[in-house]
Amino acid sequence: MAESTAQAVAPEVLTSGAGPRRVSTSLRRGLKWLGVVPFGVYVALGLLAPFVAIAIAAFKNSSTGALTLSNFNTALHGTYLLGLRTSLVLSIAAAILPGIFGLLIAYAIFTAKRGNVLRQVVITASGVFANFGGVPLAFLFIATLSTTGIVTGWIKDLSGVDIWNHGFTLYSAYPGLFVVYMYFQIPLMVLVILPALEGLRPAWREAAENMGAGTWQYWRYVGGPVLLPSFLGCLLLLFGSAFAAYATAEALTGGTVALTPIQIGALLNGNVVAGQENLGYALGVIMVVIIAIVMIIYTIIQRRAAKWLR
Amino acid sequence: MTTNTARDAAADGIRQTGRTGGTSVSLQDLSRSFGTTRALDGLSLEIAPGELVALLGPSGCGKTTALRIVAGFESADTGAVLVDGKDISSVSAARRDMGMVFQSYSLFPNMNALDNVAFGLRMRKQGSAQRRRRAGELLDTVGLGPQAQQYPHQLSGGQQQRVALARALAIEPRVLLLDEPLSALDAKVRLQLREQIRTLQQRLGITTLFVTHDQEEALSMADRVGVMRQGKLEQIATPDVLYDDPATVFVAEFVGAMNRIPAELQASANPRTVAVLGSTVPVKDQEPPENQSESTVGGDGPVDVLVRPEGLTMQVVANGNGIVTHRTFLGSVTRVRVMLSGDVAVQIDKPSSEAAALAPGTSVSVTLPPEPVLIAPRRPATP
Amino acid sequence: MAAVADVEAGAQTPASATGPAARRRSFPVWRWVILLVAGAYFLIPLYAALRFAGLKAFGDIFKQSGFYPAIGLSLRLAVITTILTLVLMVPTIVYVHLRLPQIRRSMEGITILPIVIPPIVLIIGVLKVAPGFLLSTPYLLALVYVILAMPFAYRSLDAGLRAFDLKTMVEASNSLGASWPTTLWRVVLPNIRTAMLSATVLTVALVLGEFTMASLALYVTFPVWIVQFEQNSGPVSTAASLLALFVTWLLLMLIVTVGGRGARKRGGAQVALFTVAAPAESSQTTGEPE
Repeated sequence: MAESTAQAVAPEVLTSGAGPRRVSTSLRRGLKWLGVVPFGVYVALGLLAPFVAIAIAAFKNSSTGALTLSNFNTALHGTYLLGLRTSLVLSIAAAILPGIFGLLIAYAIFTAKRGNVLRQVVITASGVFANFGGVPLAFLFIATLSTTGIVTGWIKDLSGVDIWNHGFTLYSAYPGLFVVYMYFQIPLMVLVILPALEGLRPAWREAAENMGAGTWQYWRYVGGPVLLPSFLGCLLLLFGSAFAAYATAEALTGGTVALTPIQIGALLNGNVVAGQENLGYALGVIMVVIIAIVMIIYTIIQRRAAKWLR
Repeated sequence: MTTNTARDAAADGIRQTGRTGGTSVSLQDLSRSFGTTRALDGLSLEIAPGELVALLGPSGCGKTTALRIVAGFESADTGAVLVDGKDISSVSAARRDMGMVFQSYSLFPNMNALDNVAFGLRMRKQGSAQRRRRAGELLDTVGLGPQAQQYPHQLSGGQQQRVALARALAIEPRVLLLDEPLSALDAKVRLQLREQIRTLQQRLGITTLFVTHDQEEALSMADRVGVMRQGKLEQIATPDVLYDDPATVFVAEFVGAMNRIPAELQASANPRTVAVLGSTVPVKDQEPPENQSESTVGGDGPVDVLVRPEGLTMQVVANGNGIVTHRTFLGSVTRVRVMLSGDVAVQIDKPSSEAAALAPGTSVSVTLPPEPVLIAPRRPATP
Repeated sequence: MAAVADVEAGAQTPASATGPAARRRSFPVWRWVILLVAGAYFLIPLYAALRFAGLKAFGDIFKQSGFYPAIGLSLRLAVITTILTLVLMVPTIVYVHLRLPQIRRSMEGITILPIVIPPIVLIIGVLKVAPGFLLSTPYLLALVYVILAMPFAYRSLDAGLRAFDLKTMVEASNSLGASWPTTLWRVVLPNIRTAMLSATVLTVALVLGEFTMASLALYVTFPVWIVQFEQNSGPVSTAASLLALFVTWLLLMLIVTVGGRGARKRGGAQVALFTVAAPAESSQTTGEPE
């Protein structure tokens, strides 16, 4: 009895709010957005405007200002194409290998309990080393692996081999920069893959065990597949991180290595070739396009992973 | 604390299900500490073939630890677990041949329902066609045949637990273990699943250990219920015995509702009697619990009488010993709250038709029938 | 009878119920190997740099003429950037949480953008569009650094706000008669102190270490000075680098200890340390109010 009267009342209550209130509601709704205006303006000025400006300039001739595709043409040939290729390959390599090592390190600690000392140390260290990039890192490795570096010396003492005589150099993408990039890429991987590892519920492991699965079988049928999207996503992140890196390479090579960020810097500094800024902008646009593609793929993968790990 | 031997209950159980096979499980003196906390303190329990035993208790009482030790995910500090008489303490969890249903979200998210159920069979190296057939059968049994291709995130909580149940049963385990499988579900779904699990368990005659903190669940589903507290088994008995004949104060108050009425114990009388609510009633024969930290009730003095809401008699009289303060409508029965002289509140159950006449403010007389009652040490009044 | 049988059986059972198979996975050897190798890879260069620089170089740092201006500039930039970042982000995030929860998704996306656009590209863009009066002052860098810091600040503050029920608290405060500014000051801000601290520390660490933009904008901040100074003395530059690393480490340890005390429940400090794009955060499984 009480229920039916309630139902009879409800519809009337719901529809009675329409009408004269509608105007002020939409105005109120519009005013709501005022709160994010400062933020929006700042982002527009600080992020969008610069990018739009260089995107436009990329299509203009540096000296005449006429619309042209010549910047992009130059960007995709010769030494600049080489730079792009090297950047891409280096970034892929500096994503995959640190990715695997980072995963191993993360796996080595994630089964430890929350308060475990070793785990805390590794996590904190990862946070610190992931932020170590740039200039200091260059100097660390100069001290370590340059012709007079400590480790170079140790290898010489232990095996009589001078690695620099055998083609090793710090001042090019391989193997030098690659070895150096690992220093901040590996910790980055540890930090971003750890939440994914911890998203693996213990109940899954136990249910699998209960069904008769051993460690290998668990990872093959459950752990691995569930982790894969996140792992790939992390690799993409690492790729982006390596691709955009500038400071370390610049500090180490003084702008001489053929990597896209460095080349952009050289063009805009006017040190190398004056009057070719728009070429630099074109290269910048290409960089952003590449990373945008990577981030889109990353977002798709993350959505997928989130569905499973709900 | 058993007031009913395991063998009798087991025999009852077997007669009910009509099966003579089945696996017996024996927990012997299990103890486990985590740091300074003693999770289990000498727990011993016999589960007869085909029996469903529920471990019931508040959180932290050790029931989940006990279950996980049986499953092989934890190991006991001392004691052993025997299955069909054999000590399995050193057998790995993967080889114990027990099916476990976890509390929630234990389905593998990267596999659909069918593959989840078939997983155990895959581990046992069954052929693909065979596994899928059997998995399909099991999903039909739990009523989820059409959902076989769905992924866990597409299923509701109740459906997920049914798949989990099917998965556990797929391997035809000797023992079924359930770790609070219903506590994460909505009330209505919970009730439906309760029936389903019980029916299935009885039909298959599978020995089952069920852990829960919900006493209604335990009482309605189990052949026997073991009430645990602080790592120890306070009492294990069939539900009706637990209700009518609680062995300790804790069990009496944990299972069902219980009133506490201050009274005076007359220990010298034989049998002992209490003076309560204006009359004198005999005291039930209780074994003094061994490890109770509360002082055991000894000589004359103040005690509390424990009596169920349906155990009190109430009549409307002018100038009675109590006044009705509230009524709580529970369906066919109404729980009437009465304030007795001396600031003692009691709850009395009355059929709702009668309770209609008991408006708040009505003067009533509350008495105890001359049946033996349970007593407990007097608990100081809470402000 | 059953009870007696129990007791006897119990007495005879050996206490070794802890068979190796039934025990929880302990720490196998290979994990130590990995951690040791990793440890070596990360620590050796530090040691090498220390050896190379020599202890004397540390003292020499402070004697160089360019040092104080450079570090002074970096510190000023750090302070301004932090203040600007907090002033911009805190009210915005609180507002979004309270009034515009539906755009939180988009906010996450927007604040990822500074990561997507490589700093090198961003700075050349900024240098192109910035008006003259801004270009002639190093504080232009502070304005740009706010953009760079945005992802970290957003993540920290967002996590901090999600750790408690903001809406309910604000409603309670309002119903008790507090005005908006009072609510902000007395209710909201105290509860996100830790998050604000992480955001601050991350921003400071970022500014102190930022090289790309500063060098292209031709301002001599501390990192730029270090690189320029290498021409004069390698050891001093190396020592300065180590000093910078040490300061970064100190700052990050600050988050961990302070954050750890406050967010004991789920290692909230770790959230702050994670660089921006952590993969899909798991829902509150292990009691994390994340």
